[in-house]
Amino acid sequence: MSTSTISLDQLIAWLSRFRDLVTEKQSYLTELDSAIGDADHGSNMVRGMNAVVEKIGAEPATAADALLKSVGMTLVTSVGGASGPLYGTLFLRMGVNAGPVTELDAAALGAALRAGLEGVVARGKAEAGDKTMFDAIAPALDAWDAAVADGADVAAAASVALAAADKGRLATEPLVARKGRASYLGERSAGHIDPGATSSTLLFQALDDTVSS
Amino acid sequence: MIGIVVVSHSPALAQAAVDLALEMVGETPPPIAIAAGAGDGIIGTDAVKVAAAIDEVASGEGVLVFMDLGSAVLSSTMATEFMTTTDEVRLTDAPFVEGLIAAIVLANAGASLDEVDREARAAMGAKQSQLADQGGAAAADAALAAEAPAAAAPAAPAADGTSADPTEVTVEVPLVNPDGLHARPASLIVQALAGVDAKLTITDVTAGKGPVSGNSLIGIMSLGAAKDHVLKFTATGGAAQQAVDTLVTMTGDGFGELAS
Repeated sequence: MSTSTISLDQLIAWLSRFRDLVTEKQSYLTELDSAIGDADHGSNMVRGMNAVVEKIGAEPATAADALLKSVGMTLVTSVGGASGPLYGTLFLRMGVNAGPVTELDAAALGAALRAGLEGVVARGKAEAGDKTMFDAIAPALDAWDAAVADGADVAAAASVALAAADKGRLATEPLVARKGRASYLGERSAGHIDPGATSSTLLFQALDDTVSS
Repeated sequence: MIGIVVVSHSPALAQAAVDLALEMVGETPPPIAIAAGAGDGIIGTDAVKVAAAIDEVASGEGVLVFMDLGSAVLSSTMATEFMTTTDEVRLTDAPFVEGLIAAIVLANAGASLDEVDREARAAMGAKQSQLADQGGAAAADAALAAEAPAAAAPAAPAADGTSADPTEVTVEVPLVNPDGLHARPASLIVQALAGVDAKLTITDVTAGKGPVSGNSLIGIMSLGAAKDHVLKFTATGGAAQQAVDTLVTMTGDGFGELAS
């Protein structure tokens, strides 16, 4: 039953693991972004998540809302690119939705992630198929919700969400970008996997790694 | 006076754009704040910085926010959730350089948030009008678009001489300064008319362009009036004569450009 809910310490471990994954994949993210963007997604995410890990280490939060809001504000002020306000909004809205709790069950974490995604959509106006982070997160959360409806716990939900995110990420390859810097390329943006959808998949990879270990 | 915020990925770009715009106004520019870069020399934008800049220049009359692109727009929309001012804050889709110049001139003349935003968003008009002279289909489209500033700041009375307004004053004078009615003289006109109780329009009689509002920097620039063109100033209102006299004097002096 250790993975039926996610504790505050596991949320922190999730963020730390996300930092490690974007660091590990920095050159890959940059390579994807150099094909269709301005080649800064890897370095921006690494800088942002390093700042996050430093911040939450220096000022330990005592509840999920405070933790996630702190993460969001740190990303807003440290990332620089569009990922700052987008990931920042994701975590800020997650925090508001989660509330002052110290653990979340699968339904609550799914609801918080869903609120985060809705914030991202409100901020970036992305829709399905625009070749953005939405194309990884939205199918992941649909899979999450379906699994939870079937009684899945956090670990089981994270596993199916990761698979769906990765599938969504790979499906961005043939798409023509309609948002962000890549949209300036028009048809030439097709044939490349979206870097934002890739970093978002790493977010679910980090969650899966954290709750399944 | 409204406040102006300039949001850019690059502090150097923002500062240069502001410096360029400030050349158009005197020693008491409107409140301007820059929110550019993401700290530590990082190219990018930061919503918290933008919010602080908005709060810094808000003084009750509204704030107009200019952005370069991409995350500047996202960070600015996010900033409206972080700011503490209760001023109306408008994120404008005006062109970054042209819009900023138009806005600073008009804001300096005491115009409202609505007026400044409208002028800034019409700010491509002058360039489009200039390039329309190059010919071609694209230029023809641009020429149509260039009508926008004139329409955005319409001349109140008819400029065809049929107006029954008893205060109407009309004078025609030639342009004598070598560079014609470029940005600097246009800015001087807008500032000279600020606060004057008159509605004044300018027509380039020689080129058959206008009338445009004397309160519209971009409108005046869109005339592209060259040296020796005859300008027609038409004014109505309590200070119509004074407004026309002022412009006739300024035009006759070549907007201070004859000596240089």
